[in-house]
Amino acid sequence: MGSLIKRLYRFFILCTLLSYGHSSFAQSTASIAKEFSALPPEQKILFEEISNDLRCPTCTGLSILQSDAAFSLQIRQAVLDQVKTGKERSEIIDFFTERYGLWILREPPKKGFHFLAWLIPSLFLILGPLLIWFFIWRKRQQVSTFGVRPTSEILKEFEEKIKAQRKDATV
Amino acid sequence: MLADYGFFLVLLCCITSVYGTISALIAAFYRHKRLYRSAQYASIATCIMAIVSSGFLWYLLFTRNYGVAYIFKNSSNDLPLFYTISAFWSSLEGSHFLWALLIAVYGAIAHVTYAKDNEHIMPYVSAALQAVSAWMFYLAVTYSDPFVLQFPVPDNGMGMNALLQNPYMIIHPPSLFTGYTALAIPFAYGIAALCYGDITEGWLRTTRRWTLYAWIFLTIGIFLGGRWAYVELGWAGYWAWDPVENSSFLPWLFATALLHSLLVQDRLGHLKRLSIILAIVAFFFSFFGTFITRSGVISSVHSFAQSPIGPNYLYFLAGIAVVSIILYGFKAQSILPSDTNKVWGFSKESALVITQFLIITFALIVFIGTVYPIVSEAITGVRFNVQAPYFNAFAPYIGFSFVVAITIGNLMRYKSGKMLGGKKLLLGGLFVAAIPTVTFCYFGDVFRSELKPLIFQLIGIELSFWSMICLTYDAFNRVKDLRFNIALFLKRNLAYLGAYIAHIGFLVALLGFLGNYRGMDKTVTLQSGETTELYGYTFKFNGIKLEKDENALLYTAPLDVTNQKQSTVGTVLPARAKYPTKDELFHEIGLLGSFWHDIYVVLADFDKDTKARATVQLFINPTVKIVWWSAFLMCIGGFLSMCDLTRGRKSKDTLGASWEV
Repeated sequence: MGSLIKRLYRFFILCTLLSYGHSSFAQSTASIAKEFSALPPEQKILFEEISNDLRCPTCTGLSILQSDAAFSLQIRQAVLDQVKTGKERSEIIDFFTERYGLWILREPPKKGFHFLAWLIPSLFLILGPLLIWFFIWRKRQQVSTFGVRPTSEILKEFEEKIKAQRKDATV
Repeated sequence: MLADYGFFLVLLCCITSVYGTISALIAAFYRHKRLYRSAQYASIATCIMAIVSSGFLWYLLFTRNYGVAYIFKNSSNDLPLFYTISAFWSSLEGSHFLWALLIAVYGAIAHVTYAKDNEHIMPYVSAALQAVSAWMFYLAVTYSDPFVLQFPVPDNGMGMNALLQNPYMIIHPPSLFTGYTALAIPFAYGIAALCYGDITEGWLRTTRRWTLYAWIFLTIGIFLGGRWAYVELGWAGYWAWDPVENSSFLPWLFATALLHSLLVQDRLGHLKRLSIILAIVAFFFSFFGTFITRSGVISSVHSFAQSPIGPNYLYFLAGIAVVSIILYGFKAQSILPSDTNKVWGFSKESALVITQFLIITFALIVFIGTVYPIVSEAITGVRFNVQAPYFNAFAPYIGFSFVVAITIGNLMRYKSGKMLGGKKLLLGGLFVAAIPTVTFCYFGDVFRSELKPLIFQLIGIELSFWSMICLTYDAFNRVKDLRFNIALFLKRNLAYLGAYIAHIGFLVALLGFLGNYRGMDKTVTLQSGETTELYGYTFKFNGIKLEKDENALLYTAPLDVTNQKQSTVGTVLPARAKYPTKDELFHEIGLLGSFWHDIYVVLADFDKDTKARATVQLFINPTVKIVWWSAFLMCIGGFLSMCDLTRGRKSKDTLGASWEV
């Protein structure tokens, strides 16, 4: 129940934010695309990066850049407005996380508890091969008497045998 | 009436499965051969009854019997014949029933086609398989009964979900479910090996074949799912690391790891316990995937409580986990590696262990990302949905390690520190790989990327080609060792050939992924007669046309495409479809293109009244077709490996045993 209220509250905040954020309500794919094409190139990249990091609230698994749902169009417009003001990437991201909560991001932030989601796989990737190296790779189980030896070693053994036999013969 | 018979048969299936489980357990305990026969027949009976009952459901679908609630919800009078077949599995009850049906069918096949030298562990296998099918049929009777009747009988159904009205949805779910359910057999053999206390002769051959079978169908299913997303969802991508996609990917990863562990077990008699664990875990995750898809636990908090079937899957998952862990704890000590001398060290078996580690790590990352919403909600109170950027952050490292592991691992030999070709091949390969890399980048238009992705793409493509060259050199050497006697090579090394093709397929898939790392797109609004340009192509819009396609009304915006030389490439047909039973308009993607890139057009918006204005999103997606081709290669490879008759025939250090103890 608590989370339902939280959700409703979040939804409410979202609606209010979106309604005063900018004057026009009628965002469409086309109007945003038109505004986007007027941006200078570095702001274009910034816009694409940021909208790729924010999730579409009504779809599953898509960013606001990939989706044309009404909500993501509104957020995309908001991102566009923020980008136009000339803010930094981190400032804009903060702007959105402050208002919508971390929930709006598509990957866990690298701090607090969420850092674990990054730490565990990274540790696995780095420590795993090392552990395998120490426990398996370096451990060669019981060298067999029939084991393969390098040819040079076999030759050496033969030579020693021959030498020994010659000594016997001369003596 | 037929619906009642259908329900009754499903109930009987449940009863026979329960009977089969109990009798198989008793047969296993008292080593009673005839009682086991009875369990075997129970499984066959379950299979036949399940097939008949599914036939009833299909018949009801075809006769549009809306007295059955499931058929009312998922079909309508206008539904074409083609989609009436797939309406069977288009929502919860039906797809659950398909699951149960397939597990009954494969269970029966496994009961009939077992290896003779495995017969004494068959009671355990039978018990495990029939327990799974008993639970599935129990759920099909109680929580997700497809034969529920309703009154009064409506004249028309609510119609099938328009997103599922796509040819791929006819093959995709059955093939994915085939993969999921076929993994039950390696699982059952794993449990049987634990119960029996050792790997038996013929265990490996059977497990390997079924794992490969499941693997092939999982591959087909996953790629078709991607293809479906590509042509149906309209965001120009095929893989979004969505929880449901991930949950189909996890069993695939574990099945792949299992195949590699079985290889070591076959050659050296090591890694037996790992094989058993992986067989169990692979099935566990195929069930986990079903659980996630059905319960809605990941995509929404509330559906967990609402959907009554969710917790039941969870009980079953917990049951599998508890039984497996207890069995493993008690019995695993007796499953020992054979005392083959001189293993591990710098050798192929170590490389295979590292490969497995990588696959399992990848699975771990996918798993963390998938269950993160639940975990983060439990601990921090914030439900955090992890999406694509998280996975994409790790994928390059994993992919890089895979390529290196595939290359080095294939060049090495068992029980030997030597490597075919040595440094000369590895370095030479890097140089030679530059040629196909440049060709690929030229045709795939990689050079258009910006600097940072370009470097990343170049390294990836170069390494993939390098790996292919090394693998091919290895394959060539193996043929040469047999003095180019192809018949002998095919007879002896068919499994190797399959693995070679499947690995090449994997590398080709990587090439495809790297190629479309960065596509081009543009959104424009066009008036009738206007043109727009993207990437050398000119698109001309000639007004919206209305068309009728099967049961849908299509608003099509045909765009005439011409290339730089002013010659016509064709007409691309993005559209919006209006289905009679639905209010919204659904996307129909316009697709056109060469081998190297797709022209992908979405009709985002259009003027319904004047039919003279349309907003379209144009995408140029390089190398997507290569991704589809790679799936083809992987499946061919898997199939060839499955046909191999020699692999696993002589498994090392197994116990020949019989019914008498």
